[in-house]
Amino acid sequence: MQRFHFEFIGRKKVWFGISGTIIILGIIAMMLGGLKWGVEFQGGNQFDVKFKKAPTVEAIRTTLATLKLGQSTIQPVGTGNEYLIRSERLSGDTRGQVETALKKAFPVTDISARDIGPGWGQQVTDGAWKALIASMFVLLLYISIRFEFKMAVSAILALFHDGLVVVGIYALVGLLEAKLGLAWIPSEITPNTVAALLTILGFSLYDTIVVFHRIKENAEIIGKRTYSIMVNDSMNQVLMRSINTSLTALIPVFVLLIFGGQTLKDFAFAMFVGLISGAYSSIFIASPILALWKETEPRYIMVREKLARGGKGEAAASSKERTTPTETKGFTPEAPQAGNIITGVTSDEVGMPPPAMTPTPKQKTAAQKAKKKAKKKKRR
Amino acid sequence: MLDKQKFIGYGLFALVIVAVSAYFIYPINKSIKLGLDLQGGASVLLQAKGTAKAPVTTESMDQAENIIRQRVDKLGVAEPGIIREGNNYIQVQLPGIKDPNKALDVIGKTALLEFREVLDSEVIGGKKLTVTKDPTSDKDAVLIDKDKKMKYKVGPTLMTGSAIASATAGYDTNNKPQVDLTFSAEGGKLFDEVAAKTYKKQLAIVLDSTVQSAPSIESQSYNGRAVINGSFTLDEVKTLALVLQTGALPVKLEMSDIQTVGPTLGLDSLRAGVLALIVGFILVIIYLLVYYRGLGVIATLALAAFAIILFGFAAFFGTYGKSIGLYWNMTLPGLAGIILSIGVAADSSIVIFERIKEEIGSGKTYRLAMEQGFRHGFLTMVDANFVTFITAFILYFLAVGPVRGFAFTLMLGVAIDLFVTYFFLQSMLGLTLNWKPMQKSAITGMKGVV
Repeated sequence: MQRFHFEFIGRKKVWFGISGTIIILGIIAMMLGGLKWGVEFQGGNQFDVKFKKAPTVEAIRTTLATLKLGQSTIQPVGTGNEYLIRSERLSGDTRGQVETALKKAFPVTDISARDIGPGWGQQVTDGAWKALIASMFVLLLYISIRFEFKMAVSAILALFHDGLVVVGIYALVGLLEAKLGLAWIPSEITPNTVAALLTILGFSLYDTIVVFHRIKENAEIIGKRTYSIMVNDSMNQVLMRSINTSLTALIPVFVLLIFGGQTLKDFAFAMFVGLISGAYSSIFIASPILALWKETEPRYIMVREKLARGGKGEAAASSKERTTPTETKGFTPEAPQAGNIITGVTSDEVGMPPPAMTPTPKQKTAAQKAKKKAKKKKRR
Repeated sequence: MLDKQKFIGYGLFALVIVAVSAYFIYPINKSIKLGLDLQGGASVLLQAKGTAKAPVTTESMDQAENIIRQRVDKLGVAEPGIIREGNNYIQVQLPGIKDPNKALDVIGKTALLEFREVLDSEVIGGKKLTVTKDPTSDKDAVLIDKDKKMKYKVGPTLMTGSAIASATAGYDTNNKPQVDLTFSAEGGKLFDEVAAKTYKKQLAIVLDSTVQSAPSIESQSYNGRAVINGSFTLDEVKTLALVLQTGALPVKLEMSDIQTVGPTLGLDSLRAGVLALIVGFILVIIYLLVYYRGLGVIATLALAAFAIILFGFAAFFGTYGKSIGLYWNMTLPGLAGIILSIGVAADSSIVIFERIKEEIGSGKTYRLAMEQGFRHGFLTMVDANFVTFITAFILYFLAVGPVRGFAFTLMLGVAIDLFVTYFFLQSMLGLTLNWKPMQKSAITGMKGVV
């Protein structure tokens, strides 16, 4: 059963164009210094101060100036009673002095502090790279064994896409926020962001695997469709599933982005962008790449040439498949020779029930087949 | 395949696991240990910096960890956590500590190795000696030994670790482990003076105000060399040699990340996280119910079972983790991992339901569609979950810091998801097969969107 007839593969240039644009913009933003590295990467001190009644930034700066820390960044967070103060790395004593000075000058509810050497963020990133490269190899191997090599490479390419998109979006948002002087999205890169990004890559694979599972299944009942059309059909079949799984994963992450505290927002933004990119890439990147690549195999070239030679009817029919679902004019005369009958016959041979088949195919009469076809037409 | 007994068995098995998890969770405020980012406290990340003389090795890190542990024990924090991160990091967590800055001083200080005369001793539990609260080097003090078996009353410091040129583990003529000591030229002279004073008495080797060993002095002139023997195991000898050799920590430790979290701010984070968790959970359930109707009820129950088991594990590790060497408490990254895994768990139901829907759409009976839909759908989600698991697994072992807490939660989540889907979801689907309202609602629920 295929409920949708969207064109995915045929418009691959559009999808690749969209992704390419986002990635290139992201890279430009990165070169313009859009990536904001968290305190964990630069080293330094950070104070998260919650006041009973929020003082002005200037007042805090004046207090800090008495300790020669007037240059620190002071940034409001959350509901407004909370400030994030950042300075260069201080000695242990100075750290205590800052806390005491703040508590003396203002009604402070609570202070959290961090004192980070410059190496820690790098350490996290190094570990992450190692993990990333190792998992790429293992995943390449696993997908090659369970599916096939070309699927493995397509899936990994989609992962690279997701990684680039997430980092690019971070750079873009960072650049935009810097230009506008805003801080409404946590676009700073912290070890937590790195963690979120890595897990998202695993999660993005989830979608790709679901789509590939269906492509693998359908490849066995490909009939006289070209590989691209079969892939396109597969994606239409799993579309609702992909939308639903992406939405249910996005909902909690979105809630986290809204309600979560500062640290959780770090995670949430990376996860949010990553999930969307991951869902997008499994359909619009991984599958077209796979289709393009598979089409270079001799047997699929043959199918394609055969279809092209097979007279106007079939050629038109296959291009019919490529048109949008609303375009149903001229459907009736072409239908008998088109993909519908072909799929029907194939499924009889294989014994697998693809579109609109009853579980007892062998007893089906021609009349029943015609009826099914009519039903199918209606659905379209 | 459509064996009712099998479904009942699977269902009961899943319910037992849910019940056991609920048992571990209750009461939740005691069973689940909050990380210091949620309850306030201090953490410090110590980075070992190797030198030619004191390289970073597994052995030296073990030793350093032990010394840090002894120092932390003295702080009297209820649930301290000391975790090794990567090859050269030690993470110390002091949840709920009142004065973090003072605690950090104690952990970060350079330890002092002292030699002091033993004036008196007693087994722990005895009444004669009272342990000195704030021992100093220049006054008599009562100290505990490292195994917490003995109390020693010791005199003022006679010499410090700087007198020692080298200390190595070796064997005596009877093949019993011993420590061979070599003193520096000046240290040798000093030691002879000390030996003369403490001849036929015990000399305590004190590190960080803890007695490491109290050998008796059997000679008055050592000529710059000495051995410490007794009934030692080889490990004890090695440890003692390391302590003597390095004076303090076997490797140089630098504080590379100090974090203090105020209790109010920790509570704010906890509230925000729990709120996000609950709201996210409810929204996902609403989505499933609206979209899948009858099947949505099953999905909701499966999601609830998933959440209970996941928190059951958190509670189990919180309560018993220490005794099995798996230190894991609920931190912000962990909470984020749990929230993400709710999405993963809901995905499994969706993958299976959508497959069932397709089977029904292709004209199969409800029964057959359920059976085949589950089989195909489950196969898909095993593969999909497995790749997520691989990533999380590799992350857990290769990455450091917050990445690990996140990866661990996700790994648990994926495994529990497979369990719940196979046992709970399958049994629920199987048992409601012949239930007309479920069939009807499931089918109409689907048709609504076809």
